[in-house]
Amino acid sequence: MIRHLLRLAWNRKGANLLVTAEIFVSFLVLFAVVALGVYYVDNYSQPLGFSYQNVWRIAIEGRPLRGDGRASGDDDAVRAAAGSRMRELVATLGEFSEIVSVAAADPVPYTDSRRSSSYERQGRNVRYRELEATDSFLDVMGLTITRGRWFGREDDALPGSAAVITERLAREVFGDADPLGQNLAEETDSEGRPIPPIRVVGVISEFRQDGEYAGSEGFVVTRARLEDPEASGIGNFLVKVRPGAGADLEARMAARLQSVAPDWSFKVESLAALRDSQNGLRLAPVLAVGTIAAFLLLMVALGLTGVLWQSVTQRTKEIGLRRAKGASARGIHVQILGEVLVMTTMALLLGVIVVVQLPLLSLVTGLSAPVYAASLAISVVSIYVLTVACGYYPSRLATRLTPAEALHYE
Amino acid sequence: MLQSYLRLAIKVLFRRKVFTAISLFGIGFTLLVLTVAVAVLDHVFAPRPPEVRQDRTLLVVFIDMTGGRSHSRGPGGYALFDRYARGIPGVERLSIATLPWGAYSYPGGRRVKSYLRRTDADFWRILSFDFLEGAPFSDQDVEAASPVAVINETTRRRFFGDENAVGRDIEVDGQHFRVAGVVRDVPMLRIVPFADVWVPMTAAKSDAYRSQLRGECIALLLARDRSSFSAIQDEFRSRMTRVEFPDSRFDKIVAVPETFFASVSREFFGSRGDPESHPGRLTALLVTLALLFMLLPTLNLVNLNVSRILERAPEIGVRKAFGASSLTLVGQFIVENVVLTLVGGLLAFGASSFVLRALNASGLVPYAQFQLNPRIFVYGLVLAAVFGVLSGVYPAWRMSRLNPVQALKGATR
Repeated sequence: MIRHLLRLAWNRKGANLLVTAEIFVSFLVLFAVVALGVYYVDNYSQPLGFSYQNVWRIAIEGRPLRGDGRASGDDDAVRAAAGSRMRELVATLGEFSEIVSVAAADPVPYTDSRRSSSYERQGRNVRYRELEATDSFLDVMGLTITRGRWFGREDDALPGSAAVITERLAREVFGDADPLGQNLAEETDSEGRPIPPIRVVGVISEFRQDGEYAGSEGFVVTRARLEDPEASGIGNFLVKVRPGAGADLEARMAARLQSVAPDWSFKVESLAALRDSQNGLRLAPVLAVGTIAAFLLLMVALGLTGVLWQSVTQRTKEIGLRRAKGASARGIHVQILGEVLVMTTMALLLGVIVVVQLPLLSLVTGLSAPVYAASLAISVVSIYVLTVACGYYPSRLATRLTPAEALHYE
Repeated sequence: MLQSYLRLAIKVLFRRKVFTAISLFGIGFTLLVLTVAVAVLDHVFAPRPPEVRQDRTLLVVFIDMTGGRSHSRGPGGYALFDRYARGIPGVERLSIATLPWGAYSYPGGRRVKSYLRRTDADFWRILSFDFLEGAPFSDQDVEAASPVAVINETTRRRFFGDENAVGRDIEVDGQHFRVAGVVRDVPMLRIVPFADVWVPMTAAKSDAYRSQLRGECIALLLARDRSSFSAIQDEFRSRMTRVEFPDSRFDKIVAVPETFFASVSREFFGSRGDPESHPGRLTALLVTLALLFMLLPTLNLVNLNVSRILERAPEIGVRKAFGASSLTLVGQFIVENVVLTLVGGLLAFGASSFVLRALNASGLVPYAQFQLNPRIFVYGLVLAAVFGVLSGVYPAWRMSRLNPVQALKGATR
């Protein structure tokens, strides 16, 4: 039966080749969109690691940039002044009764600002994302400590900077060994510069700075002290406010901070609002591409139905002959659908081979194997459903012909 | 002859309406997406007020400052343009402006986000804003660091309702300004002029900007005419080699005055420190994307066309038997197909106005004014014709190869 169908398909290879090519390209388009969708859904279902409710971010702007080409001699004095002003601002924020706790951090969740590092460890390249934050970051963001402890004043006297890493990074870097008390970056970074030791004091469950739709990456939170000159470059305060605080508190906070630092600028935004705009920016292109792809597939479905319909009309004689020789309506039905399935299978075989190459050749990275496999399965099944649905009406049309009608054609 | 082709094409269109509808759906949808894309690109790049002198404006947006291991990339600093970009021969006017940044105000306890931009008086002479009331701030205002501001229509409504705003006080980013003028809204995607509130460069909270080589500014250079572009670029490049670096970590700056399109191309391809402009790269990318997008619709239409041609085998057989050459038949079919795609293109053009209106209404892009114009119509026609030829060539070739004897017999392969 299958061999017979293959031969039938081969006999009409000219027309079938083009249809097969169309199904092949449709599969690639569908796979790309499905993979994106599955990736986002999978990410959304994973824990975020922090809570954004009632957390506000105050962006500090208008300070001299690092590396703006001005004389570097000023830098130390400028930085010392900036650092003491940062401490003054934190104290000012602490005076508000609506504020539960205040931390300084850079970068903060749901912003475009990102920091990452990579280094060689035992011949392997380790990449991680990072941020620096003051001690109260734990309370403000509601992080969950799974092992060890959060950093604090006890780390003042110890060498290097104390850090907390995520479970994912602990697994990636230390495997089954205990990460506590170890140094994260041992020797030098990718450009050969020595890295001051980053001492792991604790492990948190997860931290996904880019939010729900972004993939999980290893993350490090290093301890920052506003007493250190380096910490003067931190660009944000994060404050946890009591529920119900609104624009009125924002206005008072901005005005108060402005009076302490008249030549800086302050922007108060809730993380919830930043989250909405960040996620909106992430989803809008996916929705646009998804809509276009859906219409493309509808177009392909209509086109395929038309082509199959036409081919059934043209093959009236052949079908009539089969009916006259005793083939049942069901038999014809199966034959037409079988031919469609042969073409679809050919296209999908080719498509799957191509799609599987992409991660093998590292052309696509960042999609985990389960996400990739699930997307592949969903796309294959959808294409089968689509083509069989397209073949259904034309094949019914073919079976409706009685042998006499069909042979009468000429 | 073309006339009879056209008449035939119309006849064929109406012969099997279901197939025509299926073809037109595919063509219409494809061209709809392309027309909307062209309209968005037109919105971003085409000259329109206030950028009426766009054809002779050069911009320096991002610069690269390097030295040893240090690399700093971003907008230029005020000092760089103020010290080294003034008085270039062939440049009529130079304006230095910051990029817009978001700032909050709290009029009457509400929170209002505005995009704020600091600039100079020449900004208003290079760009032609449409003033609803008042006037731009002057050279004297900038020199005296007067706290004055030009605001857009939306900001006036947010702060003052429907009343006139000139002379009134507005607080943005913790600073007070007196409104000097009100302009019509400029779309956010017009990156060069866009802002909600424009204030003098000198009204900055601190004067740290005065000594920055890398900072938050762009420069607009209004050339006398297009032919002086390359001389201006050469002069600018040579001036960049004479920059003095107070910070010893840096010793080189790469910055090129170029058209807006070229600078977008530069950002898109991330060509760090490339002293040449490559606007062609972005064009090539856009064309490639359009062709890639057309791949599936083309295959779809080719398949439909091939099966519809076979239906017309007897007609082709007769024409061949009476001496029509293959070339004639190919020409005839391509004309038919182009007619079909042009009809689809017209439908798409009509439908795209609804899509664009919906996009404007959705507020996805602040102050977006996506709209159709004759330029987009011409692009749409070209795209439809290209699509028609692409999807017509193979079926036409198949048709012309039909064996007349078999075709007359009604053979289908």
